[in-house]
Amino acid sequence: MRVDPILLRARGTPDSQSLTAYLAAGGYNAWEKVLQMTPEAVTAEVTLSELRGRGGAGFPTGRKWSFIPKDHPGPRYLVCNADESEPGTFKDRELIEHDPHLVVEGIAIAAFAIKASTAFVYIRGEFVRWAKILERAIAEARNKGYLGKGVLGSGYSLEIVVHRGAGAYICGEETALIESIEGKRGFPRLKPPFPAVAGLFGKPTIVNNVETLACLPHIINRGAKWFASIGRPRNTGPKLFCVSGHVQRPGVVELPLGVPFREIIFEHCGGIRDGRELKAFFPGGSSAPILSADQLDVRADFDACAEAGSMLGSGGVIVLDDTVDIVEAAANLAHFYAHESCGQCTPCREGSDWAVDILERILDGHGRPGDLELLQRICTYASGGMTICPLGDAFALPIASMVKKFAGEFERRIAAATPSPPRKKPVLPWSGPSHGFGR
Amino acid sequence: MPKLTIDGRVIEVAEGTNLIEAARSAGVAIPYFCYHPYLSVVGQCRICLVEIEGQPRLAIACATPAADGMVVRSETSERVRQARNAVMEFLLANHPLDCPVCDQAGECLLQDHSFDQGLDTTHMIETRRTFPGLERRRLGPHIVQNQNRCIHCSRCIRFTQEISETAQLTYKTRGNRAYIDTHDGSPFDDPMSGCAADVCPVGALTVKEFRFRKRSWKLRSTPSVCPGCSIGCNVWIDHHERVAYRLNPRENAAINATWMCDYGRFLAESLNHHEILHPQRHTDGRLQPVDWPVALAGVKEVLDGSSSLRVVASANLSNEELHLAKALLGGARRADIVVPVWSGEKRRMKNGAGTWLQSHDAHPNAAGARRLGLRLVDQKGLVHFLYGAADVTVILDPLAHPFLETDEAIQLLRVGTAVVFARLEHPLTRLASWLLPTPSLACNEGTFTSSTGAVQRFAAAFAPPGQSRPLWLTLTALAREMEVEDLVLASPAEIFAHMVRTERGFAGLEWKALAGTTDLSQRERHHGG
Repeated sequence: MRVDPILLRARGTPDSQSLTAYLAAGGYNAWEKVLQMTPEAVTAEVTLSELRGRGGAGFPTGRKWSFIPKDHPGPRYLVCNADESEPGTFKDRELIEHDPHLVVEGIAIAAFAIKASTAFVYIRGEFVRWAKILERAIAEARNKGYLGKGVLGSGYSLEIVVHRGAGAYICGEETALIESIEGKRGFPRLKPPFPAVAGLFGKPTIVNNVETLACLPHIINRGAKWFASIGRPRNTGPKLFCVSGHVQRPGVVELPLGVPFREIIFEHCGGIRDGRELKAFFPGGSSAPILSADQLDVRADFDACAEAGSMLGSGGVIVLDDTVDIVEAAANLAHFYAHESCGQCTPCREGSDWAVDILERILDGHGRPGDLELLQRICTYASGGMTICPLGDAFALPIASMVKKFAGEFERRIAAATPSPPRKKPVLPWSGPSHGFGR
Repeated sequence: MPKLTIDGRVIEVAEGTNLIEAARSAGVAIPYFCYHPYLSVVGQCRICLVEIEGQPRLAIACATPAADGMVVRSETSERVRQARNAVMEFLLANHPLDCPVCDQAGECLLQDHSFDQGLDTTHMIETRRTFPGLERRRLGPHIVQNQNRCIHCSRCIRFTQEISETAQLTYKTRGNRAYIDTHDGSPFDDPMSGCAADVCPVGALTVKEFRFRKRSWKLRSTPSVCPGCSIGCNVWIDHHERVAYRLNPRENAAINATWMCDYGRFLAESLNHHEILHPQRHTDGRLQPVDWPVALAGVKEVLDGSSSLRVVASANLSNEELHLAKALLGGARRADIVVPVWSGEKRRMKNGAGTWLQSHDAHPNAAGARRLGLRLVDQKGLVHFLYGAADVTVILDPLAHPFLETDEAIQLLRVGTAVVFARLEHPLTRLASWLLPTPSLACNEGTFTSSTGAVQRFAAAFAPPGQSRPLWLTLTALAREMEVEDLVLASPAEIFAHMVRTERGFAGLEWKALAGTTDLSQRERHHGG
């Protein structure tokens, strides 16, 4: 099935970052339309479209907006989450690179809907180029009167501030992101209160993903009904899938929600590289539990993935072929999460590091009987509400799923192991930020 | 007022009370590390998990407000027990378990909860994470850090951010490698730095001055009041075999919450200093020890023989001692009494409501002296007073004012007879005709009036050394000697009752119901650590 791109329509067109090209393609029409509407009507339209958050949790966007207390005097804030750090995810970067004005227009629409007059874009620190692209787009739009004081002659004002992160995965979590914008250490906050009630600087704040916001101009232009007709019930609209790993043609593909993963991997990405066999894949970034080759027919939408025991997450499909050693993959993953754990909650802080030790020991050929039960125990007690934010689940669930689905590989290594004393290098606290990852 | 059930006990608590405090009032102890009643709630340690009926996931008690009709299970839930086991195992995975050589042992929350909630064994067989170079580091002038023991509860960080407001401490790096340090690496010289060690639930931060001086379980704790300034922080004197080892804050929401400043904290050692241990009489050009009966008779004789008597009292004395001095010497003997007050260094303390209290002067009881209607004088007034003529001068406390150490004061007091009550050698003790020993606060009992107006009791930790006797005891003995029958009183409680009857400023107070001291029996350990 070939589908005309909606979100990525500008990809490949000349000079697509410029305002001229965007206007020529009908850009900012939705914004002009929105300025004639009431914020409530915009929210209602988005609610009707059944748009669900593209950042990972899949929460209905219109409902999220409606959590802002009606009688709050303000200010309120909109934050665009462009901290895209999930391994295997690179869709927001693609959107910003090819169509920055689409993102800016989406931000404007959402800010209008929640009556915010300041919006922040929290962009991953490494995205230097993309931060500049966005800043240029914002300046262009501002010069032409699409942003700033009294937008397009209306009484509504909007400023967009680009805030670059400093390189922490955890700052993609919305409350850690808010702390980071406030200038604090990126520690997720206890919830409740949720950001919609008390977020940035203690004010009602909505944090939406780049891709979520990019859907908004299309919803306004072409109507909620049109948007809802794409995809499947309760899983509507187009979705960007970031396919990486052992496929012929990795990259970002845009497809309606609900296409089977088989179609994504084999039709749109050319199948597995060099005639190899598919072993397993992560359906939605590395924090989604792994799916095995026989689950290829699972549909790529929020509900179907949840039913299959995983999650759609950010739509980062990581494909592993039969050359992959699952134990090594698990250790690699564990290293990442142990490195990125913020260190607040005991189960995540200690559990992720402990899991690394065990997996590395198994890899070193010193696995012991009982190690797998222990890994499962660690994963059980680091997830399922044992921590403040979902990072506990993000490290525990994929590792637990790998241990469960590929127990044989782990057991073979353990059976072949030579018993020897455990080892671990001491951690030198002054060894700098690179330490601990990929040692 | 929400009414809820915790482990089968029904309890009604104030709106907004969290489940830890609600459970405490129901007599159920929910374990915690990162929670502290006077710090913000962060929900980091995850040991306070409880099961709430109708909620699929376990909830952290510290961040869950009590709600009407809530049914909470803590110790009665198997799920909770297992989850706490797991959290304890996580906490102990990298903890060095060096309790035998750790100074926190015996008052360590991790040790306590490990006994209560933990497993007998651990699944951890890996080599533990360590922080080479941070095992016994001087974090500041009073604080020694052992980062290996840290359980990342962030109490010390929050203390410097929210209470002392120096915001000196922070985590550096991330995750399991995070360690506590000052932001810029400069010494941790917070004026309340000792409290960072107090709130540390484990032995990661310990107080240099106390380290390895005494195992905590040997110590007995006696409630007292800090003598360092007029704020009157409530403290515990921790002592063993008649030696005071440390002062620790004692909870009083109105004055010092659970804090005290380093200046007050390190007065502990001074409580052990006793240099004058016997009553002494100046004979043959030097002071010679005598027995108490001889001394009391001698002092009575001096007082009887005086034509004009003056008394330098002190704002360091208890309400009872000041009252006796006023009634016995001022009343019966018509002595002229002054209480010198020295402003000293400005000190401050944050109370439970988050308000800073400022010290007025360097004494614990200037407010009490004022309430008794005594004449308070500054240095100028004191000089003026000493220039006045008198044939007998009674000095109740040579440390009442620094001016008393000066050559000028000594010259002024050479004239006439001096009766001096003292604990330490002092220029004035050398010119005393009669020198009577008084012990430190640790051996005394009575009340101080704080600058906020609270009349607060302190208890005697141990008996006075040598022949030393609290001033109140000597003054009642003098009253017997002088046959002032209504001042022959047997205890500070009786003196207090007499004071309540005769002094308007103290009317209506009751010894047993004094502020913050209704329960002087058991020390609560959870706030300090």
